[in-house]
Amino acid sequence: MRFHAAALVLAACLTPPALAIFEDDAYHIDFHHALIGLPKHDATFFQKPYAGSKASLLYTISESQAIGAVNPKDGALVWRQAPSAPQNGTGLLRAGEDQDTAISAFGDHVAAWSASDGRIVWETRVDGATVEDLEILEQEDGITNTDSKDALVLLGNGEVKRLDGRTGRAKWTHHDTSGDTPFQLSTSPTTLFYISLHTQLLGGTKLKVTSLSPITGKKLDSYTLSSESEVSAREHILFAGANTAAPLLAWTDKANKVLKVNIIGTKGVSTFNAPGKAGVEKIVLHAPNRLNSLAHFLVEYQTATGHLAEVYHVDLKKSTVSKAYSLPEIAGRGTFTTTSSDANVYFTRITSDETSVVSSKSHGILGRWPVKASAALAGAHPVHGESEVVVKSGSASAVRSAVLYSNGQWVLIRNGEIAWSRPEFLSSAVSAVWAELPDQEALAHELEAEGHQNVLAAYFHRVKRHIRDLEHLPAWLQTIPSRVLGSLIGKSEDSAIDEIHHDTFGFHKLVIVATAAGQLAALDVGSQGKLIWNIDLSQFAPDTTFTSPSLKALRGYVEIKDPGFDGSLYINSTSGGMLSSETIQVQPRVPPGDEKLIAFSLVAGELKGYLGSDATSEPVWDFTPPNGEKIVSYTARPVDDPVSSIGKVLGDRRVLYKYLNPNLVLVTTIVETAKTASIYLLDSASGSLLHSVTHTDVDIARPIPATISENWFSYSLTVDATSGPSSRGYQLVVAELYESPLPDDRGPLGKQFNSSTLQPSKASGDVAKPYVLSQTYHIPEEISHMTVTQTKQGITSRELLVTLPNSNSIVGIPRAVIDPRRPIGRDPNAQEQSEGLMKYTPMILFDPKWHLNHKYDVAGVKDVITSASGVESTSLIFAYGFDVFGTRVAPSFAFDVLGKGFNKIQMLLTVAALFVGVLFVAPLVGRKQINSLWTIPS
Amino acid sequence: MAAQPPPPPQWVLDLNATPASKPKGATFSDPPGYTAALSSKQKSQSSKTAVRQAPTSEEMDTLKMKKAWELAIAPAKQLPMNAIGMYMTGNTLQIFSIFMVFTLFKTPILAVASIQRTFAPYETPGTSGRLLGVKAVYILMNMLMLALGIWKVNGMGLLPTTRSDWLAWEGERTWSERAVPREWL
Repeated sequence: MRFHAAALVLAACLTPPALAIFEDDAYHIDFHHALIGLPKHDATFFQKPYAGSKASLLYTISESQAIGAVNPKDGALVWRQAPSAPQNGTGLLRAGEDQDTAISAFGDHVAAWSASDGRIVWETRVDGATVEDLEILEQEDGITNTDSKDALVLLGNGEVKRLDGRTGRAKWTHHDTSGDTPFQLSTSPTTLFYISLHTQLLGGTKLKVTSLSPITGKKLDSYTLSSESEVSAREHILFAGANTAAPLLAWTDKANKVLKVNIIGTKGVSTFNAPGKAGVEKIVLHAPNRLNSLAHFLVEYQTATGHLAEVYHVDLKKSTVSKAYSLPEIAGRGTFTTTSSDANVYFTRITSDETSVVSSKSHGILGRWPVKASAALAGAHPVHGESEVVVKSGSASAVRSAVLYSNGQWVLIRNGEIAWSRPEFLSSAVSAVWAELPDQEALAHELEAEGHQNVLAAYFHRVKRHIRDLEHLPAWLQTIPSRVLGSLIGKSEDSAIDEIHHDTFGFHKLVIVATAAGQLAALDVGSQGKLIWNIDLSQFAPDTTFTSPSLKALRGYVEIKDPGFDGSLYINSTSGGMLSSETIQVQPRVPPGDEKLIAFSLVAGELKGYLGSDATSEPVWDFTPPNGEKIVSYTARPVDDPVSSIGKVLGDRRVLYKYLNPNLVLVTTIVETAKTASIYLLDSASGSLLHSVTHTDVDIARPIPATISENWFSYSLTVDATSGPSSRGYQLVVAELYESPLPDDRGPLGKQFNSSTLQPSKASGDVAKPYVLSQTYHIPEEISHMTVTQTKQGITSRELLVTLPNSNSIVGIPRAVIDPRRPIGRDPNAQEQSEGLMKYTPMILFDPKWHLNHKYDVAGVKDVITSASGVESTSLIFAYGFDVFGTRVAPSFAFDVLGKGFNKIQMLLTVAALFVGVLFVAPLVGRKQINSLWTIPS
Repeated sequence: MAAQPPPPPQWVLDLNATPASKPKGATFSDPPGYTAALSSKQKSQSSKTAVRQAPTSEEMDTLKMKKAWELAIAPAKQLPMNAIGMYMTGNTLQIFSIFMVFTLFKTPILAVASIQRTFAPYETPGTSGRLLGVKAVYILMNMLMLALGIWKVNGMGLLPTTRSDWLAWEGERTWSERAVPREWL
């Protein structure tokens, strides 16, 4: 034993002291999925970031209006411009050929971004109107603009503007006062076409095409196409070809039986019948987007069972459209992409298991690659894509396609191989929960069973369990060599984990994320947020449209509820399989004990508490805020909130007893007219008011995040800037609750072990109110959400995790910094110093070391959830909303885990060296001892 | 051939041959520091008077009591020095102060434990009754020493005298009701 200890001491001396900053942990313990959102079909393209660039980037604007450039090689985000708040309207993104800017438009905002780094070049606002369409003027009078290409925008009020490509200023404005609905713009080398929808009195819509001069914006001509028999809604217009040599206008009827094509600029309409016996569900028209490419286009027909396509050629001289060839029907879903290279046009057909390339000229397949099956794409089909094709001497030598799959994965398929996939569906996450791994669940269940038995039965149960566990022994023994080697060589254990299994430290926990559209995914937070499974909930509830599913983790499964349907869905948290409610025992989340259960909810602006779980009975209590205040939110103490010490030890070794009530709930109310916000602390068992604060001059339009944990709560608010208060900015309020203001005193309840707020004992009279200590700090930034770290036993000090939306970061504020007992206006005395209290400062600056996201830009975080890991020192953190971010924190440092700098090899070598030393020294000592016994001292 | 040495001077002769005795009729006393050689009679007389008498048992007991008291008070003499030492080492937990405190505890306890052996030399039938008081004082002095140790330990904060020391044994209050938001059910 001593030997071992000596070795440890020696080893400890040999290891270099760890530095305070954990630079080596960054990018290892945390992960970040920088998302863009589901890319839009017509606004996704490969483009060179500047003229003469060798490689191209993949640009897109997503359905969440985030603009991003992705490196097609590895799927890494090159730059991104995410809107700070969700924007309405359709997002548009265009880039001119050989330009170094990409021009975007959404809502009333038009902006040009530098294509290589995403910096803003110019921006302009079209006041009061929304941008309906945006095009780039590639040619003017048949001559290509060499320097900056101007942008053309169509506004919802019928205005067409030409914006200077360098400054964004309007060069001319054409106003259409006919009252028709503006639809789209299209350019030809010489003319600009403005397409609007003219609604007939008798129903149906006529298409009106107005041609404008791109130089002056003057109206040249206009004509109307009689489409009223087919077009009754916008969706029936398939295509209004933009920027092609022969701009097309294609529409179909309700039943998708007829395809009508008009070459814009001419009045003739070609009619084609949809092929196939089965009804066509959807028609998509794919045409090249370049002025110099051949005037060929592909029409994709999606039927109930498969999809097929027909390729048409446009004869520009005769102004006719003729069918060239057709591609056979393939069962299952697929999509087509169009690529133009010089004048040639290639169509790439992407299905779930194959990619093939054809030329627009003939139906011969130039290249075919089987797509390898991938777990990320299981059960999903391609929705739309964008391709780059390399054709050499008549055959396609390489093709890469960025394809959006139906399960929300954005994938790049390079010659049939999946180069990368981006889980873009996670950008619309609305709910997430922690799920335990299966073996932890099983163990917890066994321990619970033992806890309920008597001592002897529990003992036998345990012995039996251990004997049962012996079957895992051989397998465990087999893993020892690899584990020992792995830990010695320092191979990261995280990367070695392929399947879900329990790890020693409990860092591998699953997070189940639900998106607004009803996608459910499980991520392993311990292994860089790897996607474990990914399912679409609509397969289990076919008639439901999910709007905002809410999740609840139970043992081994998650329960999903949605306003779209009654009842719940149960999904196995490790496999993603559906469980029927009969096969599982539905456990209550709050374990039934001797306690009476009271459930409370917000009913018609009042908080009401009911005895038991059914809401039909009379409420036990209700809380109506006074003076016409409106309840905006309430926060309850978490169910699992372990507290290690019931008191706070002061510097003179006396104790301030914490007010630990599991039923605390913090209610936030506002008065809109008076600009006040109030915080009420309630005991939710009896509904009695324990504490209240009212703040005046509050900007009530801003969020008031709040959190409550242990015996303290915290909230943040924005001081209204217009009402002229003495201070402005953002405030963070922290309050602690104690049983009594006096140390060594347990307050009115005294030593009573049991307490009830519903039936308070006579001795204590009224409900014992806590003693509240609170302090307010100014903070430099607005907080949108706050939560508290959780650890297994609550010994580790807590950290307040706040989300800063303006700097896209998550900050962990140590509890000691926001301790309300910080002395005000004087330096702390010796006893306060021994408690670690600092002098109160009215301003808290967020230390850069507190930023958990370090260099990551975590955009759009709506919620942060925390969970205890297997070791007491560490808490797991997962943030979702738009981006997905996960990390782990050790607020009191990782006191129970060996640091990365610990050299195990050195330690073992030291032990071995000492052992060898002992082997040599032992005979020497033995001889000396014998000699000393046998020789007579002279 | 060596010449005869000259005869010694008179003063040497006088010095070597002192007068046998002082003249009888002499009334002057011997000079200070001069002791006249005693005659044999006188010698025998003086030797008779110089023989020490063996002390009585009472005297022995008194002597032993004296020694015992000295022993009993001895720890108290160390007390001020120890107190200063303890005060100087401060209240921090260090290896030296811990060793000092340890000896501070060990010495009095061992001393009290071996009290019989310590006082065994002074144990006589005559003193046994009176020794009880001495032993009591000895124990008291050692207790003083121990008290110093306890004072030191208390100063170091090692004595569980405050509420915080017993906090771990105090339980969290249980609540008869448990209220949760309905959406958690």
